[in-house]
Amino acid sequence: MQPITRREFVKRTAVAGAMLTSIPAILEACSTGTPTSNKPSKLTIAAVQGAEDGPLKKVAPMYQSQTGITMEIVEFPYDQLFEKLVTTFQANGSSYDLCMMDDPWMPKFGTMGALQPLDSNFGFTRDSDIPSIVYDVGTWPPPRGPVPPSEQGKTQHLYGITIVGNVEMFMYRKDLASSPPGSWDDVLANAQKFNKANFYGYVIRGKATNPASSDSLPILWSFGGDIFDTSWKVVLDSTASIDAITFLTQTLKKYAEPGAENTDAGDRDRLIAIGQAFQSTTWPAEVTGVVEAAGVSQVAGKMAYIPIPKGPSGKGLGMMGNWLLGIPKGSSNGSAAADFIKWLIKTENMKTYVQNGGIPTRTSLLNDSTLGQANPYFPALAQSLAASPNWRPRTDQWNAVETIYGTAVNQAVAGLKTPKDALTAAASQIRAAMKQAGYPS
Amino acid sequence: MIRSSPNLPAPHAPQAERAGRRRLSRDERLAYLLLLPALGAVFVIVTIPFVLVLIQSVSADDGTLIGLRNYTRALGNPLLYDAIRATGVYSVIVLPIEILLGLSFALLVHRTVRWPGVRAAIYVLAILPLVVPPVAIGVVARLVYAPSYGVLNVILERVGLTHHEVNWLGDPTLAMLAVASVDIWQWTPFVYLVLFSGLQTVPRESVEAAQIDGADWWAQFRFIDLFYLRPLFLLIIFFRLADVLRVFDHVFILTGGGPGTTTQLLSLYIYRVEFKFFDSGQAAALAVLVLVSFSILYRLISRALPLERT
Repeated sequence: MQPITRREFVKRTAVAGAMLTSIPAILEACSTGTPTSNKPSKLTIAAVQGAEDGPLKKVAPMYQSQTGITMEIVEFPYDQLFEKLVTTFQANGSSYDLCMMDDPWMPKFGTMGALQPLDSNFGFTRDSDIPSIVYDVGTWPPPRGPVPPSEQGKTQHLYGITIVGNVEMFMYRKDLASSPPGSWDDVLANAQKFNKANFYGYVIRGKATNPASSDSLPILWSFGGDIFDTSWKVVLDSTASIDAITFLTQTLKKYAEPGAENTDAGDRDRLIAIGQAFQSTTWPAEVTGVVEAAGVSQVAGKMAYIPIPKGPSGKGLGMMGNWLLGIPKGSSNGSAAADFIKWLIKTENMKTYVQNGGIPTRTSLLNDSTLGQANPYFPALAQSLAASPNWRPRTDQWNAVETIYGTAVNQAVAGLKTPKDALTAAASQIRAAMKQAGYPS
Repeated sequence: MIRSSPNLPAPHAPQAERAGRRRLSRDERLAYLLLLPALGAVFVIVTIPFVLVLIQSVSADDGTLIGLRNYTRALGNPLLYDAIRATGVYSVIVLPIEILLGLSFALLVHRTVRWPGVRAAIYVLAILPLVVPPVAIGVVARLVYAPSYGVLNVILERVGLTHHEVNWLGDPTLAMLAVASVDIWQWTPFVYLVLFSGLQTVPRESVEAAQIDGADWWAQFRFIDLFYLRPLFLLIIFFRLADVLRVFDHVFILTGGGPGTTTQLLSLYIYRVEFKFFDSGQAAALAVLVLVSFSILYRLISRALPLERT
């Protein structure tokens, strides 16, 4: 064998290295250049990690065995999922064929034009067994309420189908109270009555940003307050809004757990589950995951679930927190992805999904007595959906608004600012952010 | 007699020209070739993103150039100054404590522990906090400080030091101390390891000579050890300041920046501007401002603590 020079060795190594490193790129180019068949071998779902995607993971193999299509579920924590989807959509990436979306993300994704329309592209139509609000929340631009200035005049399309029918509800200890609280005054009276050492009359989920925002919005609305009016004018510093947050962060807080400003959903569930608190707002996933979980909770069977109590406005408004499935524009397997969604929401498949811990949207399943025995919150959820709960303002700026509002409520819960000062400052910041985004201020 | 013709070029000119265009030797070309992959990686990983951030910082969302408007907006936001204040307070708490504790441990081990096995065991123990993912540390710290079930409150109440629950994460001062304590736990070992390795370089003869001259431990430290450790302090301060600007995970998990914005450090603030407000122009401007400020700070520190021993 002829010896080679050092120079020749370096040259050959560089050429070999360049060839090796370019192999994946060449293979990728070949694969994307090939026309996709109607039936792909695999569908990839970007999902939120936790109770929300647990049932999906359980039923996906059934679809796999029926169709031969491998279902890959890639999980992310809540915040990371949103960031991942936004960056993927910005790059028009084809990493995911389906994505789980929290309903407040729809305005962002709708405005970005990141999703494939399910109605015009794949023939989705409304099913009378599913409340219309569930379709409305997946429609963009929104069919009711104010429409962002940039979206006015656009044709409405269905972009997402709810697979987790979350609505915020209210829970209390039915073994202690003889009747359900009908109003926030009743909630306060019960908090006073049952509050004692190591047993808190009310649990505030007051951690900064999303938790504090989610916990307080139903109270804000029930008191007649809001963040925006119907023309996007900021009304967070109105008397009704300040009264609502004063009620939560001062009046009700007297009977709340210590450290409420740092309490998140897991902390709240723990307090309820170990029998150290009387009542709070709640989400379905908290009920199935902890509060009614056998072997985990000491109060399973002792809790009652009702729609959000009424406030001075005369209304009790729950908040939607639906998780939807959508098809990213970058996916080249749209038809197969749409078939999976259609399969999932069929009554018999959704029933299996519910039996595996899923939260249904079909009224027939919510009122199914057999399923209701295992899921005591179903009647409250059915009532909440039928009463058309509020959704978070349909603006692509919602994340910014929620961060500002949730921080302000947290400041009020922590006693760093009075509710009035906190909301006035937050209203000013939200006005500036919305003006920057082209909304009327 | 030698005559010089004005038409002829000066004899040195072509040589200079040749020197300017001198062909690289084979070894030099090989050296550049070998450097190329590393330089290419730095270019792709550092230079291109930095240039993109610079462009983004002077652009609107649609890509049009808007001059320094993003910088004006970034500097005009009062939340930025809250974040700077929080980061400053955090740095003032963690840096001195980590350096003092790390130095104390290093001196203690250097002067008292002679058995190599024990030194190796301490070395492994010191490495452990550095390799634990910050997210995991944040989750464990939450179990320590959380309201109502935090381990720390239980211990304090059991030993009778407190009779009511301390609101570690809800009180602004205590929340800052809580998040700082996590940093101190994780990064003091880094300071210890660096300074301990520095102490190994102190010549034994110098120490023995000082001892013969009657120098006590403080004099040995002040006039001998400190001389050898001084460049390492610059290294530690530089690394730790850079780390403080990147602190995110455990603060996000422990307090989420709360109560209010009292523990919203710069990194968390920039994250929110980018991923909650989706204001990428302002976030890029903030990133550039942080980079420039940190470069100036580093220059000032390196002047105060020269890298070379003098």
